[in-house]
Amino acid sequence: MSTFQPINPKPFLKSLIGKQVIVRLKWNKTEYRGTLISIDNYMNLQLDQTYEIIYEVEDGNETKKEESIGEIFIRCNNVLFVREAKSEPQETEIETETSVATESNGNENGNKEMETD
Amino acid sequence: MSTKEEPLDLIRFHLDEFVLIKLRGAREIKGKLQGYDSHCNMVLSEAEEYIYNDSNDDVETKKTEMVFVRGDSVILISPI
Amino acid sequence: MLFFSFFKTLVDQEVTVELKNDMEIKGTLKSVDQYLNLKLDNISCTNGNKYPHLQSVKTLFIRGSTVRYVHMSPNSVDCTLLQDASRRKLWFNPQSRMIV
Repeated sequence: MSTFQPINPKPFLKSLIGKQVIVRLKWNKTEYRGTLISIDNYMNLQLDQTYEIIYEVEDGNETKKEESIGEIFIRCNNVLFVREAKSEPQETEIETETSVATESNGNENGNKEMETD
Repeated sequence: MSTKEEPLDLIRFHLDEFVLIKLRGAREIKGKLQGYDSHCNMVLSEAEEYIYNDSNDDVETKKTEMVFVRGDSVILISPI
Repeated sequence: MLFFSFFKTLVDQEVTVELKNDMEIKGTLKSVDQYLNLKLDNISCTNGNKYPHLQSVKTLFIRGSTVRYVHMSPNSVDCTLLQDASRRKLWFNPQSRMIV
């Protein structure tokens, strides 16, 4: 095995500062996409140029509602996960969303390792 | 060492300005930020509370001149 | 500690407490503690008596975690003092000082 460099949560978040991220909340199928400005020890987050994305399910179809809301502060306890937002077409993001949602968190780790390579 | 500003520090800049707070229970409250702490307990003046129902019409609006908001209900804070 | 001090300045004022279970209780604030638990005297329900089980109650203790809002008269609040205290990072949380 080659040398395995673990990325721990705090360094991971610090490495995302200044980048486009997507933050999913624990409630209401809500996500926020924006530039990560700062974090603190509790993992409170601050985002800029943020879009609020709400997933609604109507009769089995999932739709997205996006709204631009500028600069926001997110209280730490509401966060489900934080990931880097790749600049991909919208449809691919939705597919990635559903695949991440159905599979376990191990997949998130897999994505992380790929990013560092 | 680290002179980086943390998210709560950056809220400090919005004191005495209008902010929009998103709360649990499909509520939002707009008001002038008078004070806050690290739990996101806040005091807002000239506040308007919006309560949304399932169909997302703006059901209720309540106005208060001065209100304390407990931090555990807070989801996000955004300047207006 | 900041809001503990803030509520101490509100003792003997009339406040309306809205709880997370949608009850609204108006009363005179008699005491507060570090958890922001509250004691109110001479209470009345402002919810239009949807909750009649408080009709015979004159004084009560409210656990801080159940509070959603506390409404108060703007005259009882010194805004400049409150803003100043928030600016000077008077929140009592040593862990937030740690270097990220």
